[in-house]
Amino acid sequence: MTCEETKRLFADYWSQSLSAEDEIALEEHLGGCDACRTESDRLGALWNDLTRLPVEEPGPSLRTRFYDLLRGAGSHPAPARKPQMIWRIAAGVALLIGGGLAGYSLRPQDPELGQLRKEVSSMRQLVALSLLQQQSASERLRGVSWAYRAEPTDSEVLGKLLEAVNGDPNVNVRLAAVDALHAFGSSTAARSKVLSSLEMQDAPLVQVAIIDLLVDLKERDAQPELRRLAGNVSADAGVRQRAQWALERLE
Amino acid sequence: MRKTILIATGLSALAWAQEPEKITMPFSNPAAPHKVNVDVFSGSVTVKGYEGKDVLVEYSGGGFPGPRRRAQEPAPTGMHRIGGNRAFDVSESSNTVTVKAGGPWGSDVTIQTPVDTSVTVTTLNGRQISIDNISGEIEANNTNGAVNITNASGAVVAHSMNGRVVASLNRVPPDKMMSFSTMNGTVDVTLPADAKATFKMRADNGDIFSDFDVKLEAQSAPQVVEEKDRKGNTRRRVRTDGTQTGSINGGGPEMQFTTFNGRIVIHKK
Repeated sequence: MTCEETKRLFADYWSQSLSAEDEIALEEHLGGCDACRTESDRLGALWNDLTRLPVEEPGPSLRTRFYDLLRGAGSHPAPARKPQMIWRIAAGVALLIGGGLAGYSLRPQDPELGQLRKEVSSMRQLVALSLLQQQSASERLRGVSWAYRAEPTDSEVLGKLLEAVNGDPNVNVRLAAVDALHAFGSSTAARSKVLSSLEMQDAPLVQVAIIDLLVDLKERDAQPELRRLAGNVSADAGVRQRAQWALERLE
Repeated sequence: MRKTILIATGLSALAWAQEPEKITMPFSNPAAPHKVNVDVFSGSVTVKGYEGKDVLVEYSGGGFPGPRRRAQEPAPTGMHRIGGNRAFDVSESSNTVTVKAGGPWGSDVTIQTPVDTSVTVTTLNGRQISIDNISGEIEANNTNGAVNITNASGAVVAHSMNGRVVASLNRVPPDKMMSFSTMNGTVDVTLPADAKATFKMRADNGDIFSDFDVKLEAQSAPQVVEEKDRKGNTRRRVRTDGTQTGSINGGGPEMQFTTFNGRIVIHKK
């Protein structure tokens, strides 16, 4: 199940109207995907909050005000008031219907809202991509932070992040890019590219970060490379130790 | 008598070897944003902001006369340097002054530059990188020595593989991201008391200290998380990402602090 499919099923999941096999597939995905789990937890909390909202009870003052209003209405000449009252009711009903329609048209499946979301997402992608090209390391760090806001399925942003991990001249930018990759790791292609970038890396701090990422993504194919690193006497002691730790995790 | 002459010769040779090479390099457009790039193979680099317009570079070959003897010659009238001597090289192009020193016996480079210059220093095997009084962006990368930054008021991105990374900032720009990292050293950063920032901190084998009132995000501590799914079953999840997130003075631009074997200290100025 992809992240997109998972997100489509969230509402049914929380209203408990999901088929058993969809539910299993969804929970399986949540187990392996941090981004979706976070979103699911957030939506779940919101859902629970909504069900806990207290039902509004009319207080005693409302009752008094209502009767005051009634009395006041009675003491005035009726014909002058009536049309106003009707218009108010009509406006109220119109508002209710209008609100309902607006709500209906704004529901998540709405193509216009989908379009808007797509535009926002591609705007974020653009910002991330252009910042990642900057000369200044601080600006490239900002590019990486924008990449967090892109869709986790965005292959262009993923490509640029991998490029940064493999080729950015600044260690700190490489480090931040590895962190950002945690959200993009659901695809097999991404995982194998992360693995191959471990072989290219010379900064021990970045090597450690990539090893952690591979463990997080449960990339079992990393075992041979990790074994090689753990046994490589010329590698940094910290890196060797982390590779050994990762091997135990991935077994 | 002969002995005295010998000593005198020796002394003058020593003096000759240590006398630094001085070069003044103007920016083509000092009013526009300008940059200094320093790339030193081995030795120490000191960069200081000063009240002037040009970049003043002092270079000493660190006691070995080889690199010094091959120091840069002035260009003949109407000509500019296009290559050649790699031991020590200062050039300017599109408002960026580039300083290169490649002597394998260690070279000490001292640079004075206008305060608002953006500075990038990279040393492969440097003893120390010191950068003082710079309001432009600072980028420093060292392998075996420390990085020491003082009186900075622009964005700082600093890394050392084996050394300490020490930085003291007079001001935190509101929209710039910063990052300080070392594999084996301590990260020691001093910020103004009223700085607004969001910290992302990670010390795999060390502790994190601060006298700031850091508001830590609850789930950011490394931990084994026990969570209940909606059917009430408990499941356990090990968070491998040991990054802690916290904010000071209500939060602000992101600052990343990373060390594997050292500790992180964040001081309030």
